[in-house]
Amino acid sequence: MFMAEPRVIDFRTAVIEALADAMRTDRNVVVIGEDVGAAGGVFKQTEGLFAEFGAHRVIDTPISESGAFGMAVGAAMAGLRPVFEVMFGDFMTLVMDQLVNQAAKVRYMSNGAACVPLVLRTTMGVGAGLGPQHSQGFAAWAAHVPGLKIAIPSCPEDAKGLFAAAIADDDPVLVFEDRALYASRGPVPPGRHVVPLGVAVTRRPGRDLTIVAIGRMVGIALDAAGKLAEEGIEAEVIDPRTIVPLDVSTILASVRRTSRALVLDAAPRRFGVTAEIAAVIQEQAFDWLDAPVGRLGAADVPVPVAHSLEQLIIPDVATVVAAARDLVRGNGE
Amino acid sequence: MPDWLAMHRTMKLIRGFEEAVRGLAAGGAVPGLVHLCSGQEATNLGVIAALAPTDLIASHHRGHGHCLAKGAAPDLLLAEILGRAPGICGGRSGSMHVIDLAHGNLGTNGIVGGGVPLALGAALAARNRGDGQVSVCFFGDGALNQGLVHECMNMAAIWKLPVVFVCENNGYGEFTALEDVTAGADLLARGQVFGIPSGMVDGMDLRAVYAAASVSVARARAGEGPGFLICNTWRFSGHHVGDKQDYKDDDATRAWLEKDPIPRHAALLRHEGASDADLAAIDTEIDGVIRAAVSFARAAPPPEANQMRMHVHG
Amino acid sequence: MTEQQEKSWKFLESMLLMRRFEEAVAQLSVQKEFAGHFHLYIGQEATGAAAMAALESRDHVATTHRNHGHLVARGADPGAALAEILGRETGLCGGRGGTLHLTDPSLGFLSTSAVVGGAISLAVGGGYACKQRRDGSITAAFFGDGALEEGIAFEALNLASLWQLPVVFICENNSQDAWGVAKGGFPTLVHAAGDLRSIPGAVGIPAQRVDGTDTDDVHNAVARAVARARDGGGPSFIEAMTRRWAGSAPLWPELSTGVTDLRMATGEVPIEPGPHHDWYARHDPVLRLARTLLATRGDAAGRLRTLDRAITARIEAARQFAVDSPRAAAAAALDHVFA
Repeated sequence: MFMAEPRVIDFRTAVIEALADAMRTDRNVVVIGEDVGAAGGVFKQTEGLFAEFGAHRVIDTPISESGAFGMAVGAAMAGLRPVFEVMFGDFMTLVMDQLVNQAAKVRYMSNGAACVPLVLRTTMGVGAGLGPQHSQGFAAWAAHVPGLKIAIPSCPEDAKGLFAAAIADDDPVLVFEDRALYASRGPVPPGRHVVPLGVAVTRRPGRDLTIVAIGRMVGIALDAAGKLAEEGIEAEVIDPRTIVPLDVSTILASVRRTSRALVLDAAPRRFGVTAEIAAVIQEQAFDWLDAPVGRLGAADVPVPVAHSLEQLIIPDVATVVAAARDLVRGNGE
Repeated sequence: MPDWLAMHRTMKLIRGFEEAVRGLAAGGAVPGLVHLCSGQEATNLGVIAALAPTDLIASHHRGHGHCLAKGAAPDLLLAEILGRAPGICGGRSGSMHVIDLAHGNLGTNGIVGGGVPLALGAALAARNRGDGQVSVCFFGDGALNQGLVHECMNMAAIWKLPVVFVCENNGYGEFTALEDVTAGADLLARGQVFGIPSGMVDGMDLRAVYAAASVSVARARAGEGPGFLICNTWRFSGHHVGDKQDYKDDDATRAWLEKDPIPRHAALLRHEGASDADLAAIDTEIDGVIRAAVSFARAAPPPEANQMRMHVHG
Repeated sequence: MTEQQEKSWKFLESMLLMRRFEEAVAQLSVQKEFAGHFHLYIGQEATGAAAMAALESRDHVATTHRNHGHLVARGADPGAALAEILGRETGLCGGRGGTLHLTDPSLGFLSTSAVVGGAISLAVGGGYACKQRRDGSITAAFFGDGALEEGIAFEALNLASLWQLPVVFICENNSQDAWGVAKGGFPTLVHAAGDLRSIPGAVGIPAQRVDGTDTDDVHNAVARAVARARDGGGPSFIEAMTRRWAGSAPLWPELSTGVTDLRMATGEVPIEPGPHHDWYARHDPVLRLARTLLATRGDAAGRLRTLDRAITARIEAARQFAVDSPRAAAAAALDHVFA
């Protein structure tokens, strides 16, 4: 039996494949955003789509996030399936009203008769020196609004698969892409590839503690797990892939085996996604825990431009290793 | 030739409906706040009558008239306003969030200007389908100062989308007069800036509104792009039921009451040959419809507790 | 030397300072002394220099992501400004804001927003404060043509007009001949209004257009608008037109027209034919003003050389200061989140 070499492509290309595949299959799928058309995206994240699908399906908007996203909501109610790009996650503040007060609530308000099948994709990511208004990701804010679904892919394969699932979903789905992962490469199945929303994946099995890692923290967690293994600590790394709906059962099954949990995110720690996951673990697996649930997140500060400060914001491999070691060996602070 | 008698009936339906809502609200049967459109019937209906049944509208918080003009059943609408299970949205949405796609209504809206981008999006979908569908968004004079409306007009203009922007100018944003918050002498300039054909019409004159709206709708349907229509009107009630309206000038109120669109149109109908009996028959029929709606809504059960968690997601 | 000529020399000095500053920024970027995207003011110096000259120290200024020229023209220390861009401790904001958020409250700058349209609404707030203080101070808002696509710009203009706030709105329209979609580049203006002046016009704000590369044109208009505002006459809108500098065309700015050679103005060096011929010969506002002054009596050429030498030395010292400055310290990372 001939086994094909896995095809390795980067995260950015994987997403474009998902978009192109969806747009070829369903003419209602449209892409809307700033500089997404003729220019192919400021991060080249929609390259090639304009040439293939034209100006009616790849739409360059003025700098009018609020109006343009509201338009996407209305278009979705009227039968299109928009993929709307907010260029930087920080600008989600400009679409907040249409996202929270309209998109998230239309299905509920209409008693199920109407829906908003759209995808809001946005970028985030500390580390490029872009500063406090161009580095944030508001997954926690969106997760707090009933009616929205949220996915955070950590690798090219899942980027393609989660986008496919998000576009096919009849509810508003936000996909947060960490720009630090855009150039990352990995095997990606050709053709149609779907990763269902709400299904976590175990990236690395282990018996000594469960590390739940989100987005770019998955890679950091795996590096940390490698170092921990040298000390005889076997960490299990779980990538939820979707934040809402969260695959609680996979996480709990793991914690019931390892008895220890550490949750990692690259967004500010306070009141973040890690807080929800930690709360769920301690509520539903309390009797299995041998230590408090640990959480690591970004520093609770606006993201500074200076590299010497910016590099301190996100927990690094050493910090994760230390926190994991503390949990397992009980070394305290 | 439009059926003016039928349209007169609809105006009476809206007026009667709003009076019934007022009574129910005063009696404590309406949850939350409710905003009545009495006085604005000619504007509501004059525009909607110029649309095809398959066209779409987006309404605002003062939207019962839009819902009824678009064909919503009065009893189901009233049940919705009272938060009862047989209501158009299962009683969960109430007055400000009536989404009725079966009648081409993207919804009343609790956010000022919130429906404007929805209509824009529907127009985008229509353009892509190429089926000639037109969308209309209604908003008040207060929404003219929302940057969102400015953004949507710009996009409608650059892409020549089939959407008509209708401003129901009743002179007040909540308790604040238009001139206290709106700079610039000419409201039409706000549409003309984008090269959008913009017109102003007497919103108390049903047929004038219908004529003006027909022109805008036809242009949009023909692919010539958006239109902007300002209908000067007046709300006979307060911003919401319970508003004492201290901010309104008594003389102005008197003057506007004399322009009540319904008696005005009745006079026109009589002039054209309608008899007192014809008009009285309409009154009787509408009375019956309203009474039935009130009974139905009052008796309708509230939604079951298990409804609370339904329809968050698909 | 006439008063007019002296004024022009002052403008040129300010413009040269901005120009040499931006050239240093471009070079520092190539040398990877800082990461992150940035925006250069090359081509727009005449507007910045002339407008700032019409303001007083008690006035406020709001600017955007394309702010280096504004800071420098207003008198910010070039060394501290470059250090800020390089993320150093000695920067105007301790290295936290960088190029996108350069600001100096001691010079009356409000916070610098890099979200398009942010400056306009902040400026209206500044204007409101000026009016409350009743001390004759005013606020100047600098923003680009793209900002008028944002709904918040419209809301801000409406408020400024409604309350007759002492704000001078200076729209730097660098979209003329812009590398838009037609040329395979990024669209720089997607607005249905054929004439941007109609937007403030719709809310009753007097609006005029000036040549953004002509210091006198800009200065006269801004000075008049400032006087009106100080006098309680309310806001004004000035659209300053410039061509988009070629170096801003690519996603990442490049010094495509090279380090400015003033000998192209004195005539000592010919202007080669090529893609930038028109820029050097006609559109570069620094070379243009230099040519005008070189045509006056006296040893203008000598004065120009001396001026440029001094400015170049000043910027070089600033660059060295910035590069030698310590990086922002980790110990300070959590400071100033709250008071």
